[in-house]
Amino acid sequence: MDIQAYIQSGIIESYVLGLASAEEVTEIEELRKQYAGIEQAIMQFSILLEEQAMANVITPSAELKAKIIAAVQSESGKSHVSPLISQSDPVPPSESSSAVVRSISKWKFTAAASVILLVCSAVLNFYLYQKFDNKDKAYQALLTERNTLQASNQVYQTNMKQWQSAAEMMMDPVMAKVELKGAKGSNEVVQVLWNTNNKDVFVMTAKMPAPSKGKQYQLWALIDGKPVDAGVLDPNCKSICKMKNMPQADAFAITLEKEGGSVEPDLQALYVMGKV
Amino acid sequence: MVTLLKHREEPAFNYLYDHYSGALYSVILSIISDRELANDLLQEIFVKIWRQIESYDTTKGRLFTWMLNVARNASIDAVRSKNYRQGLQNKELTENVHHAAGSIEINSDKIGLRKIVQKLKEDHRILIELSYFEGYTQDEISKMLNMPLGTVKTRLRSALLQLKQAIKP
Repeated sequence: MDIQAYIQSGIIESYVLGLASAEEVTEIEELRKQYAGIEQAIMQFSILLEEQAMANVITPSAELKAKIIAAVQSESGKSHVSPLISQSDPVPPSESSSAVVRSISKWKFTAAASVILLVCSAVLNFYLYQKFDNKDKAYQALLTERNTLQASNQVYQTNMKQWQSAAEMMMDPVMAKVELKGAKGSNEVVQVLWNTNNKDVFVMTAKMPAPSKGKQYQLWALIDGKPVDAGVLDPNCKSICKMKNMPQADAFAITLEKEGGSVEPDLQALYVMGKV
Repeated sequence: MVTLLKHREEPAFNYLYDHYSGALYSVILSIISDRELANDLLQEIFVKIWRQIESYDTTKGRLFTWMLNVARNASIDAVRSKNYRQGLQNKELTENVHHAAGSIEINSDKIGLRKIVQKLKEDHRILIELSYFEGYTQDEISKMLNMPLGTVKTRLRSALLQLKQAIKP
């Protein structure tokens, strides 16, 4: 190791001034034991610093000295209190056996007290754990409940939005409203909305009975007497359902077809129909 | 002397006080300019020295070096304490003096070692000011001055070597 370089690195000064890191302190305290040069450099700088400080003295006032001496005296008084008490509590030699008994019973008492405290602590721990467990369960239940509420809230919001857009569409003047009436004299009525600008077609499904299993409603547009597929009704659509875009139509009809829809309408299963 | 102190001999304390109080008081005043606070600190420091004299290890350095570090640490702790800072803030508000960390104005009434530090090169001065007199760690200084930690370390060391040259008679 290059001791000279180490000494001249500034580490000695930062160590003496208390600016070295913990690792540097450990290192230099190890090295100063091994190398007299390092020890000497530490001492030289310490002395230099001390001489500088001693040459720049500001003497505190005499009252301050009195105050500080008093403070230190009361401080050393405190530290003497405990040894004095232990000394003034002598055990006469003749009573040494009873002193042993006393110290054993004292020890027993301490042990018993410790066991009791331990048991109490265990019981308390158990009780607190139970309490914590209950609270935790209650918290979990609340959490689940909150999630459920949030989910149903979301469903309501979606429904609400659907109805809102349905209402807006109904009031929109560009929407042509076509009433499809039940065939065979029944009083079913289904509304079809047809946007006269962009020709989008919507069906209001609210009043329609659910189709039987394996069946699905299908909308047809009649153009020059020929039925053209306008799409099947999504069974999940509960308010207003968008169908295929129809550039022209003379009338609309809904039939009950097999699931997935048909290419040709089953006129036996005509549900409602109405002219534009 | 140290043995006497360790046995808590009061005449030894009297000697210690008479011999070193002036130097330690000057150290405190180089960090804290408030006289009243410095008086309280001098008392706190001597009580601390009296209480902790057992932990002083003669093989680790001179008694004065140990006391100097006790005094410096206590003074910096006092400066950093909340009360002192609030007091300083109020003072700043009333006197309208701006004091930003790291930009200590060169003050003509600096004393002792700090006075010598004022004569050093600016980037040396600032590092000793922040670390020795204000007690910031090298890590904190590195962030404050936006300077890599390694640079702070090497520059501080060369600053201390310069300081040593300046102290030498």
